Amino acid sequence: MEYGSIEREIHIEAAPGVVYEVVSTPEHLREWWPDDADFTSAAGATGVISFGGDISSADNIAPITVVEADPPRRFSFRWVYEDVATATNSLLVTFDLVPVGTGTLLRMTETGFREKGWEAAILEEQYRDHVSGWDYFLPRLTPYIARLVKTP
Amino acid sequence: MTAAIDDDLWSAIGDPTRRRLLDLLLADGGGTATTLSDHLPVTRQAVAKHLGVLDRVGLVHATPAGRERRYEVDEVQLARAVAQLASVGAAWNARLLRIKRIAEAIQRTREN
Repeated sequence: MEYGSIEREIHIEAAPGVVYEVVSTPEHLREWWPDDADFTSAAGATGVISFGGDISSADNIAPITVVEADPPRRFSFRWVYEDVATATNSLLVTFDLVPVGTGTLLRMTETGFREKGWEAAILEEQYRDHVSGWDYFLPRLTPYIARLVKTP
Repeated sequence: MTAAIDDDLWSAIGDPTRRRLLDLLLADGGGTATTLSDHLPVTRQAVAKHLGVLDRVGLVHATPAGRERRYEVDEVQLARAVAQLASVGAAWNARLLRIKRIAEAIQRTREN
């Protein structure tokens, strides 16, 4: 059984520097993926992300290790592992940012599914129990943008 | 299929030994607890227990083979499990859309 990798790309009308901040910093990460995140955006740094609760509760917490932090070109990290992340015991998420005109082509790949896919899927299932897509995120997004406007 | 059955399906394949068993059964076209335990660092009894879990969620089916039971993978049920894994890919679509909206909102506020 070989499940290989997930690859996605999307065009974003924002400069690579802006997109890099959104994909690589805990403050932004918790707006588009986990419920909470705590890590330093530097190669080799470790931290945690959590689903369906805050970071202080032990439930649904996943460790992450930053692999590459190369602004504004590439940000990658490993997650879904126990103890120390290695090439074979984790999922590797890589964001590549390519400038296109005034915007950015964002490429995401997630690899490591052969061994780790089931565990990731289980975590996602738990995540989906707590959120149902835009019903949850849209109401959050407006105050989030308002806050960004206020802070330089 | 109910949600409860899906939960059982997920916990059945959440175990690395059981995933290895499925791999072996697919590669060999089937097997018994004895033949499977030859390939794994666990006892025949432990393999039999894991096969029982897989059997209960319908991922494998058993037929009598002498004093043992011969197991084969249920490809339809396995396909269901794989389809659920594919939904992880759909989750990334939604995440990238959120990244796009957040980044574009920041870009607009900086330009204004």
